[in-house]
Amino acid sequence: MKKKIAHCSDVLDHICEELDTKLSTAQCRELKRHLAKCPNCTAYLDSLKKTIRLYSSVPVKRPPLKARKQLFAVLKLKG
Amino acid sequence: MTSHISEHELIRKAQKGDERAFTQLVKHYESLVYSFAYKVCRDSEKANETWQDTFVNVYRKLHQFDGRSKFTTWLYTIVTNNCRMKRRHRKLDLASVSIDSATSVHDHPSTDDDGQPVQTIPSWKETPLDSVMDTELRTILDEAIGELPYDYRVVFALRDIEGLSAEETGKILKLSIPAVKSRLRRARVFLRERLNPYMTL
Repeated sequence: MKKKIAHCSDVLDHICEELDTKLSTAQCRELKRHLAKCPNCTAYLDSLKKTIRLYSSVPVKRPPLKARKQLFAVLKLKG
Repeated sequence: MTSHISEHELIRKAQKGDERAFTQLVKHYESLVYSFAYKVCRDSEKANETWQDTFVNVYRKLHQFDGRSKFTTWLYTIVTNNCRMKRRHRKLDLASVSIDSATSVHDHPSTDDDGQPVQTIPSWKETPLDSVMDTELRTILDEAIGELPYDYRVVFALRDIEGLSAEETGKILKLSIPAVKSRLRRARVFLRERLNPYMTL
C-alpha cells in the first residue's frame, strides 16, 4: 500500500482479504485510523465477519449410508 | 486418526495395497469430502457422484501422493477437479449473476453538523448460534452460495468454510495468491449483500 488510505472503498479493498489477520503491520495503521472514525466501514466490516461466521457454522453434511457400500462394491473391496 | 503419524502410516499402508487401511481412510475423510462436494457442486446428486468419483480416484492414484502436501489438500484438489468436470458436462452452473454488484460503501458519506460521518450502513444483528439458526436463514445462506458463480464459490468454500490458507487454495485451484484474494473478496461482498436484508436490525 503505497499511498495513504483516505476512502472507505480503499479500506474495503485492502481489509477484506485480511479479515482474519491481526492488522498489526505498518500498512494497516491507516486502515485502523480510518475504521476508528468511520461508523460505516465499521458496520460493513462487522457484517462481513458475521457473513463468514454464519457460513462456517453450517453443520457438516454426511454422505448417505449407502454411498460407502456402493463405493466398496465398485472397487471390489470388503469394507 | 488422532495424529499426523498415524495418518501417514495409514496412507503408507494403503499405498502398499492394504485394503483395510484404505477403507479406514475412506471412513475418516468421507464426511469432509461429501460436505465440501455438496457446497461446491451444489446438489445432492452431484455431491454423491463427486464423492464416489473422488474416492475411486484416490484408490487408483494413491501411489501418486508423495506426502509433500497435506493429504487433505490432495483430496480437495481431486474434489474440485471432479466438480469442475461435472459442471463442464452439464453446463448448468453458468450463473448470470454479476459478482461486481455495487456495495453500499461510499467514499463520501453524509456528515453531521460537526462534520462527523453519519452511519448510513445499518448494523447487523448478532449472528445466531448454529443450534438456533432458523430454517429461513439456512435457506437464504444456501441460495446465496448457490447464486455465486462457481469460480468464486470454490474459493470461498476453501478459504472461509474449510479454513485453508490463500497459499493452499491457490495450489489446489492453480491460481495466484492475488487471484485467490480478489475472488475471495468479491465472494464475501456478494454473500454479504445477499444476507443484508435479513440481518439488519
